[in-house]
Amino acid sequence: MAPTGLDKLKHIVVLMMENRSFDHMLGGLSLVMEKGKKKYPKINGLTGNESNPDMNGTIVKVQPNAKFQGQLDHDPDHHFPGVDLQIFGTTQQGAGRVANMQGFIKSYATQDTSIDQSHGIMAYFPPENLPVLTRLATEYAVFNGWFSSIPGPTICNRAFAHYGTSYGNVDMNLFFVQDPIVSIYDRMIQGGHTAKIYYYDQQSSTMEIVNLLKRQPQIFGSYSQFVADCNGNTLPDYCFIEPCYNDHPGPGGGQILASDQHPDHNVKEGERFIANTYNAIRTNQELWETTAMLVVYDEHGGIYDHVVPPNCDPNFPDGRSAAGDKTGTGVAFNFDRLGVRVPAILISPYIPRGTVIPGTEDPNGVIYEHACIPGTVTNFFLKNFENRTAREKNSKNFLTPLTDTLRPDDDCWVFDL
Amino acid sequence: MKKKYKLMQKVPKTPKSAYNHGRFISSLIEHQIKHFHEVEKSLAKPGEALTDISKIKTELHASKYLKQMTARMHPQGTAQPQKTVKPQKPKRAAKRQPKAKAKTGRRKRK
Repeated sequence: MAPTGLDKLKHIVVLMMENRSFDHMLGGLSLVMEKGKKKYPKINGLTGNESNPDMNGTIVKVQPNAKFQGQLDHDPDHHFPGVDLQIFGTTQQGAGRVANMQGFIKSYATQDTSIDQSHGIMAYFPPENLPVLTRLATEYAVFNGWFSSIPGPTICNRAFAHYGTSYGNVDMNLFFVQDPIVSIYDRMIQGGHTAKIYYYDQQSSTMEIVNLLKRQPQIFGSYSQFVADCNGNTLPDYCFIEPCYNDHPGPGGGQILASDQHPDHNVKEGERFIANTYNAIRTNQELWETTAMLVVYDEHGGIYDHVVPPNCDPNFPDGRSAAGDKTGTGVAFNFDRLGVRVPAILISPYIPRGTVIPGTEDPNGVIYEHACIPGTVTNFFLKNFENRTAREKNSKNFLTPLTDTLRPDDDCWVFDL
Repeated sequence: MKKKYKLMQKVPKTPKSAYNHGRFISSLIEHQIKHFHEVEKSLAKPGEALTDISKIKTELHASKYLKQMTARMHPQGTAQPQKTVKPQKPKRAAKRQPKAKAKTGRRKRK
């Protein structure tokens, strides 16, 4: 029998942020001490001894000196060859090389950064500097093993969140949907459910396949519509929220700040955006008790994480390959390993405080990636749905942290913005 | 009447100095522009001039182009950005203030 939290569930909300690794945002939680013991011992974060060599061969340890803005103003490389170097510590290809997460500084140093600047890629945030993400990660469920789907950039990774595949793409180029695999929005609507993508505003617009906007504008809404839908109890069964991707003038001479946390946008504004989205759900009691909200990052953005990305299960392949000229390394990629680990937090009043879902550090851990998003949403709302990749069909259910017990209202936080 | 909440977490404001619409666009926005340009091409009538996207250098330039293209495909999305969702704090029990000295100089009743 399904737990009460799943029986009551009516809405799944996914908020996908940009380009920050797990260790950069949440790794510091492992170093928080209370009464001589680790306060969050189950979180697979940092020990403080993780390191990378710089271009002089100096060993540089992780440091709790991440800045909200200005530290990563050279956008760290996160295209396929760059991430390959970050993971394997070398540009050499071929059998025998071992993933060791030792190429982050080397990669950043190739971008005209000074030696000092290149060390910034090892910086992480002390938990107190990220009050929103820290609060949500420690109050609800944090995933130790959620990885980006591809060791590459935004567009192909976000495609996995919408289609369960990138149709063979590992880059930022525009791609076209290939039948019979359709988006999660198409599936939901065909199945008699409701689904929407909320972009921030027209000036920021959508990062989600522009073809979708052209073909099916009815599945899009603005962020103000999301807040209105929360207030009016008209939220769709499934929705995906996009932050603001650029700084631009607001109405009446105001200023709208980018809230995506993509370097070098201010991380504080992203915190406020996450808090505002959470509040929109949290402050409507009926919605709060029937909604699960996932906050997840599309990829690591070239920033250090210590966990080696695992291989994909060869029994359940994506079924595609990217040729060597497409990957940029000269070697084909068969979608057989994941990208770097990213922060992922599931929020619901049916999740006990301090839930940690183990990942690769635990023999019984569970590996999640963005194909789990359409996978879980499809399985939850539509049950069986044939036309999707074996990889998505076999992806893990991210709703497992929901239990039978509804936390009292006074036990769940609200953000004061 | 708005509900009051017991557990409230203060979220710091972003400094105004964070805003810079003159910032050069990232690779991400550059590709977003390219994707929209493909759509612009597909929607163009024969002989219609296309936007010269090579001139889009800053986030301000990008936001203007994105607005123009998005409005064309999704005119419903014109709503203004929503203000923050502010819950109401519970009222604290008022601390007892020391009684102000009477200006009139009247003596307290005993």
